[in-house]
Order: sequence, then structure tokens, then C-alpha cells
Amino acid sequence: MTHDLGKLPEIYARYPKTPQSLIAVLQDIQKEFHFLPCEALKQTADELKVPLSKVFSVSTFYNAFSLHPRGEKVVRVCVGTTCHIRGAKQIQEQLENHLKIKAGETTKDLKFTLEVVACVGACAMAPVVAVNDEFHGGVTVAGCRKLAMTDKKPGKKGKKG
Amino acid sequence: MRIATPQQLNRLQQECQARLDRQERKLLVCCGPGCLANGAQKVSDELKKVIEKNRLKGFSVEALKETGCHGFCEQGPLVVVEPSGTFYTRVKVRDVEEIIDQTIRKQEIVERLLYADPATGKKIANYREIPFYSKQQRIALRNIGQINQCDIDEYVAVGGYQSLAKVLTTMSRQAVIDEVTTSGLRGRGGAGFPAGRKWATCAKADDYPHYVICNGDEGDPGAFMDRAIMEGDPHSVLEGIIIAAYAVGAHEGYIYVREEYPLAVVNLQKAIQQAHEYGFLGENMLGSEFSFDVHVSRGGGAFVCGESSALMKSVAGEVGEPRAKYVRSVLKGLFDKPTVLNNVESYANVPVIIDKGGKWFSGIGTRKSTGTKAFSLVGRVRNTGLIEVPMGTTLREIIYGIGGGIQNDRPFKAVQTGGPSGGCLPESKLDLPVDFDSLTEAGSMMGSGGMIVLDDHTCVVDLAKYFLAFLVDESCGKCTPCREGLYQLHALAVAVSEGRATEADIEKMERLSDTVVLGSLCGLGKSGPNPFLSTVRYFRDEYLTHIKDKRCPAGVCRALIRYEVDAQKCDGCMACIAACAQHAITGKKKELHAINQDTCDRCGACLAVCQRDAILVI
Amino acid sequence: MVSLTINGKVVCAEEGEMVLTVTRREGIDIPALCHHEAVEPFGACRLCLVEITKKEWNGWTNYVTACLYPVEEGLIVQTHSSKVNELRRTILDLMLARCPNSPEVRQLAADHGVTQTAYEEMPDADNCILCGLCTRVCERLGFNAISTVGRGHHKVVAAPLKEAPPDCVGCLSCAQVCPTNVIKYEDDGDQRRIWGRTFELITCKQCGKYTITREFAEALHTQRDIPLDYFDLCDECHRKELSLKMGSIVNWSREAAS
Repeated sequence: MTHDLGKLPEIYARYPKTPQSLIAVLQDIQKEFHFLPCEALKQTADELKVPLSKVFSVSTFYNAFSLHPRGEKVVRVCVGTTCHIRGAKQIQEQLENHLKIKAGETTKDLKFTLEVVACVGACAMAPVVAVNDEFHGGVTVAGCRKLAMTDKKPGKKGKKG
Repeated sequence: MRIATPQQLNRLQQECQARLDRQERKLLVCCGPGCLANGAQKVSDELKKVIEKNRLKGFSVEALKETGCHGFCEQGPLVVVEPSGTFYTRVKVRDVEEIIDQTIRKQEIVERLLYADPATGKKIANYREIPFYSKQQRIALRNIGQINQCDIDEYVAVGGYQSLAKVLTTMSRQAVIDEVTTSGLRGRGGAGFPAGRKWATCAKADDYPHYVICNGDEGDPGAFMDRAIMEGDPHSVLEGIIIAAYAVGAHEGYIYVREEYPLAVVNLQKAIQQAHEYGFLGENMLGSEFSFDVHVSRGGGAFVCGESSALMKSVAGEVGEPRAKYVRSVLKGLFDKPTVLNNVESYANVPVIIDKGGKWFSGIGTRKSTGTKAFSLVGRVRNTGLIEVPMGTTLREIIYGIGGGIQNDRPFKAVQTGGPSGGCLPESKLDLPVDFDSLTEAGSMMGSGGMIVLDDHTCVVDLAKYFLAFLVDESCGKCTPCREGLYQLHALAVAVSEGRATEADIEKMERLSDTVVLGSLCGLGKSGPNPFLSTVRYFRDEYLTHIKDKRCPAGVCRALIRYEVDAQKCDGCMACIAACAQHAITGKKKELHAINQDTCDRCGACLAVCQRDAILVI
Repeated sequence: MVSLTINGKVVCAEEGEMVLTVTRREGIDIPALCHHEAVEPFGACRLCLVEITKKEWNGWTNYVTACLYPVEEGLIVQTHSSKVNELRRTILDLMLARCPNSPEVRQLAADHGVTQTAYEEMPDADNCILCGLCTRVCERLGFNAISTVGRGHHKVVAAPLKEAPPDCVGCLSCAQVCPTNVIKYEDDGDQRRIWGRTFELITCKQCGKYTITREFAEALHTQRDIPLDYFDLCDECHRKELSLKMGSIVNWSREAAS
């Protein structure tokens, strides 16, 4: 799969061209392409004068980055402690069942990625599921089906939490 | 418009206050993390729409403020009317017309939206009289829920940046350090190191440049205090950082925010820009000779980056692997230069300490743990939310006095504090005061402030297993005891939860824990075994029941339980059949259902959806 | 100068020295698999843990890695107390679970009384103990061809994008410092293969022996200003040439003196 890397110069222009900018640059690339294309890693290494091995090291160390394309909708099940004791595992399994993928995987049509994340800081509304930037609190087992299909509310929905 | 003198700041404050006073009443909509996840944004948008549509006399849309976390998350979405303190709970979009009509137009209260005392059923209109609030003392959280998030004018109106002006124009660097030392402020991130001493060491270090860093990598699952402060009152953090920078002679600083908090990043960046416009950041601030600039550094998503040396590697664009701290980061920190690193909440306290004095601050709390502490009180407690109380308040007062006790009147089992580095404390420890030292002696720790209440439906073996799995995933992998030791501890915990372990395995886990605690390179590894050690200390019997009886008393460990349909209660609604991912339940509509034990994987979905309580956990 | 006590004996050390340097000087054998004089101490393997205390600590002890702990006046060090031995044994046990097939780990574990791991053996284990020496040496040399990939228990040492590393020069430093001989290479005539790359080896113009790769020679020329023709001779032929030159200088000066 090829990707139009034309956006890269614009991303590089946002930050000083030093090794310190690496994580911020990779985050912007991740946001733009929904993952980190190999070619982008190589260009970033050249641009910031960071060895390619270190760029690769950083890309594989942090949770934010993915070397494989993620879906249009990234469904993140919070598995923080409070969500865990309020049934996050069941929510995760229900979503795995509806989307027919395991956590960490993406559907073949690239519509959904399912992930787990340890705490998004909305603990009072556990269990929480985030679909891209939208946070859903008080998610129920019954409500998971809707989450896996559209944007409709399975629990109570809020924005950019 | 740059503010170049304290007099100009006073004038600005008066102007901003006057602008606020133009609105006789204010409508505060809580847009904290909990309420946002509960639909608060839609409520706020609807309120704006209805206010504009109605063109009410003496009440414009400017009177509506989207604030940070008001605290009582359980009751959200929250809408508060000031100055009366009228407190509306669980507000839905469909309630908005009534609120505007009854309360704003007719100055009457909408009774059905008020908070009701769970014991008496009595409605309480003014939130200040609700025990959840009246028992708190909010210093770090002082502005949150009261002012528009990230609006520098509102921050200035309530006295913001006055402490900075006082520091820059009347106090020497040493005087600032002395004031913070007198206050007794200890790091709110969990380590509890005296802030004044840290600042003094950095200030004296003869190696330049110096740096200040704010640790906003609130990685403890269950904690969202720092998130609420960064989003709800970013200027308080900023002002604290600038004062620290002045004290230690730093001209550059970083606020490290974890990747999972995008709104905090946005609000802090806005706040920095606003501060620049007023000249509270940049060159020659407030007419002084001091210059300072601060940048937001986003984390990449790694719990280990909450550790100071790993955080500094991450700021430098590298993998977050800690280093041994035999040479402290206050002398060799960011880019190997002297660095002060403090937590968000620590910085938020600083402007108040400068304003009211270190002596005042030290009079709150206990002798060794002064001031207050913010906690996220969550889990199986009735009143989940964000609170702040004086140090020394007991666990019982927090969980029962403010938290309202356990949901559904279930028995209290334990309270988990300090995140994955902390532990569980049982009922017998409820009268311990919460401070930096008392909980540590009992085998847990206060930590950054996460407080998760557990009832008898929580299995401590499952909880220990959960924390160990988390730590195995988050370990940076550099040192053997943490990388391998926690991995093996987790494997053994899994064996216990699956009924495969022996009593000798518990002793093996205890011995291994000792090596991991003493041998690991950083705090993540050193405190990694705590969740196991504290639960086996107080709940050894529960571990032994798993091992000897192959039974999970809490009904959680899947290998040791089974689900059966209660013939007396099942009404054949088929909800469980729809929920079962393994298709293990059979039955026709209105007929008794049955669970196939061979295909059932005990995921608990049926239990979650059954409205008749007809699924038995055996 | 600083004076400290190691296993009951008072010794002197220079300010800034690490405890491990001093123990080695004293002939005390402490395993330290991730340690190498060529690179900064790392503190990863944790085998060099020692017990420290001071008189003013009132009996409180701490366990630190000797490789990274700077000497202090009045420091009291125990390198083989029963607690330290227990820690070392357990760490080796854990290492053995990770690398059950490594002869070096098996030997070192056996030396400390561990012949069979008490823990779950890692399936499909290789012999890498993640000491980081290979990556650190490669970084030190300025090549940065390989690095650690991933995090935690599934961390591995690999080339970027798991392809043949473009920055590798075939110097073999990584293979040579590896304590468990994990990194394999093959020298076959004038070809060297390592990390999936193939390199051409320079031939000594004098004796025909293979010396180093062309890429390594070019890197040394660029980094250290060594003239490229220096690599026309192998080390041994250089030495022969040098000794001939030295010999002729000695003869000349003898003749001039007599």
C-alpha cells in the first residue's frame, strides 16, 4: 500500500529539526496517516538527523504508535483499575465478538481498530470506551453492539474527554 | 497587551472582575473528565442555544461557563447556578428548557434535579451544604468548577498571577525557596520529597542551564486529579511553574503531558499562549529581569515515563528507559543538567503558598504532611468523584463521610491506593490517616491520589493479577528483576487464579517479590510486587481458598466459578442468549434458559444483562 | 582520595570511581554481564548488586549495582553477603528461565547454585539476555545500526524495520561484546555476512590476509581521519613495517654516534 507522503514537509516544519522533536513529529505522522509508514520513518530519520535505528526504537516503545494501518474508528476500551472492577473485560470481549477481531487488531476493511488503553482519566464513569475522540461512560454489555456499528450512544456519550 | 507592573496587573484584575460582575448570576456547566464522558458537552451546547433563543433580560450567554471538574462525578452532568449554589444533577439535554425557564427566568428551583441525601431523601439545593463538598478543603482545586476553563481573564479576576507579581517584584530567589520550605510542601506525585529542599539543591547547582519540568504523566489507572487540574485550571499550574523557575534560576521549562490526555495538551497550550500575550511568560516578565518560557511536551504513551529519569529521556525524544538515580536528577537531569521536576498538583499549590504564606500552609494537615491532597475517589463507593481534603483525614472519613459508603450497601472489602505501586488496605485499617507515611507503614502508599474502593465482589487475587499484567506490559524491559521477575510473578498469579498453584507457590512469589523490590533499577520495578504483597498480607486466606479449595469467594476468577440459571427467577426474556458471545445459552422465549457448562467461558455478560437476577455464580 | 570498606577491608579509591572498578582492582569476582570498559555502565543485568551501608545509617542497608555506584568516604560494602548471594541467585534463576539454552547463562547460574530454573521457561527462547552491550557499543562507535525494539518482556535487539541495517559497517563489535554469543556472523573468503548484510573484506596488500570491511575502513577514515591507505596492510604487516623502520632508525643513530 502506498501513502501520499506529501504532508510530511508540513509536519516537519512545525518543529525544530532536532532529535528532541522526534516524539511530537511521530505523533503528528500517526495522526495524519493513522499509522507510521516505513517511508515516513526513513524520512524522519534524515530530517531530524536521528539514526534510523533510534527512530524505530521510539516507534516501537510507545503505545501511541502503530506500524500497521489503524482503522477509521479506533475503539479504545479503558482497562484502568476502576474500569476493570466495573467490568471492562466483559466490554472488551463483547466488542471483540461484535467486531470479530481481538484487541490490538484492525478489521480487514480498515473500518475499526480495537485496542485497550490503561486509563483515560474518566474513572468516575467507569467502564469507559473511547471511539476516536469521543468518550462514552457507563458502557453496558448490551450497549456494545451499537458501539461496534455506528456512533450511536451505548451508554452516555461525551465529547473530547 | 503586556502587563509590565504589579499596578497594571491590579488594574487588569479589577477590569476582569468588573466584567464578571456584569453577570449577576452565572451558570456553570461542569466539563470535567467524568461529565464530559457523560454527555456534558451536549448539555452545554443546548443551554447556549436556549439562552440565545430566549433573549433573557439580564442574562446572556456570557454568563454560561464551561468549567473544569466540579468534583461530584457520580451525579453528573452537573450544572451549578451561582451565587446561590443551586446544584442540578444528572442533567440531560431535555432538562435544559426547564432550567432556563424555571431557574433563570423565574428564579425558581427545579426540585427533581436536586441532589437528595441518600439516608433521609431530603433535597439539598445549595451544593455547599452537601457533605460531599462541605467536608472538603480545596486549595489545589480552588478554581476548578468555578471559572471558565483556560480563560486567563477569569483566572486573573480571582487573583491569578498576583503571586507571580509578588515574587518577581518583592522576593529574592532564596525568599521564595524559604517560603516553600516553610510550607512543608512535599511532592504530590507520590514520592513526597520536600519541594523546598529540591528547589534549594537545584538553585545552588553550579552547572547551567537549569530546567523545570512539570510531570503531567498521570499514569496510575484510577487517578485523574492532574487531568482535572491541567484541563480545568491550567494557569494555576503555569503560575506555579514560573515561580519555581524563578526560584531555581531556570529559563526554560517543560510540561510533560501523557498522550491519553489530548484536551489537557490543548488547554495548556492555550494557557501558555495567553500568558505570553499578557507578558507573564517570555522576556522580562512583569517588568523584571527574569525571562522564562515553557513548552508542552507530549508523552508517547508509556506508564514508565511517569518516572522522572524516564520522563526526561522522553522529553529529549528518546525511549523512556530510566537510569539508576545514584546521582539525582536535581543535579543531572534533563540533558544532564540540574532539573527540578514536580507534579502538577505540587505546582498548583505554589501560588497559594506565596499568597498566604508557607506558615499558613503548614498549619493545615499534619506536621510531616502539610497542606491538602486531591484524590480521585472511585470504584464501588456511592459518591465517586474528585475531592480534596487536609492531609491526615482518615480513610473512613473519606470513604464514608464524603464518599457516602459502599454502593448498594454491599460490605466494604478494601481500598486500593497508590496505583500499581500501592496496595490494598482492609477494613481494620480504615482509621489510618491518609498522608505520606502512615499508609506506607501499613503496606500501601498514598501515591498520587488514586483511591479505589472495593466491595466483596472484587477478588484480590484477580486484582493482583490485573496489576501485575499492567506492569509487565508497561515495564521498559531494561533490567532483569523487573522484566523477568514481574513476568514470572504474573504467571504465578494466573496459576493461583486458575486453581493450579500450590501453597509453596505463595512462598515462592514472596521470595521473588523480595528480589524484584531490592534488585530493580527504578520505582516501577521496586514497587511492582506491592499489589501482590499487600493483598497476600491482609487476604492470605483468600489466596489459600483459591489454592486449596479451588474456589473464588468473590465469584470472579473464571476458572473457578460457573454460572447457572436460577429456575425460580428466570422469565425467559432471552437477553442473556443475545449477550452470550460463545452461544452457550439455550432456551426459548418465556421458557427457562440453560447454560452449557462446556461452552460457557464465564465471561459474565449474561450476569451483566439479566434484569431478573436469575444468573447464579457458583 | 576516598577510603571505603569492602568485605571488611579498608581500601582507597579515587573520587568518581565506581565501586565495581575498586572491587575488580581488589581481585573480588562479581559477575557483571552488561558491563564493558568501552561503554558507560548501564545497570541492566543487576548481577553486580552489592550491599552498602554507612555508620551514620544506623543499620539501614541498601542494594545498589556496583557498576554505577560512585565510591563515597566511609562507604561499607559487602559483595557476597547472604542477602546479596540470594539476590544474585534469583536474578540468575530468572535469566535461566529466559535463556535456558545458553551455555554461558547455564554455567554462571550453576556457579551460583542454580542448575534448573524454578520458573516458567520462555518458549522459543534465544540466548539474548538484553544486556544492551551490542547496541551501546554500536552507538559508541557512531554507527547506530541496531537498537532495542519494543518494550518490556517482548523487547528484542534488531535492525530498524527488521530489514538489513543500512548503517551497519560489519565491524563485528556487537558480536564480540555479546556475553552469550547470540550475534552470528560468517566470514567466507572475502565476504562477511552479518545482520542480513553482505560486506566485502579488504585484503592486506602484503600478506593477502582479510582485514576489515571496506565500509568500516571508510567510516574510520571519515570519523577518525585515518588515511584510507592505512588499511592496505593488516595489523601484523603494519607491525613488521614499523619494527623495520624503528630498527633502521636505531642503526642510523648508532652509526651517527660512533
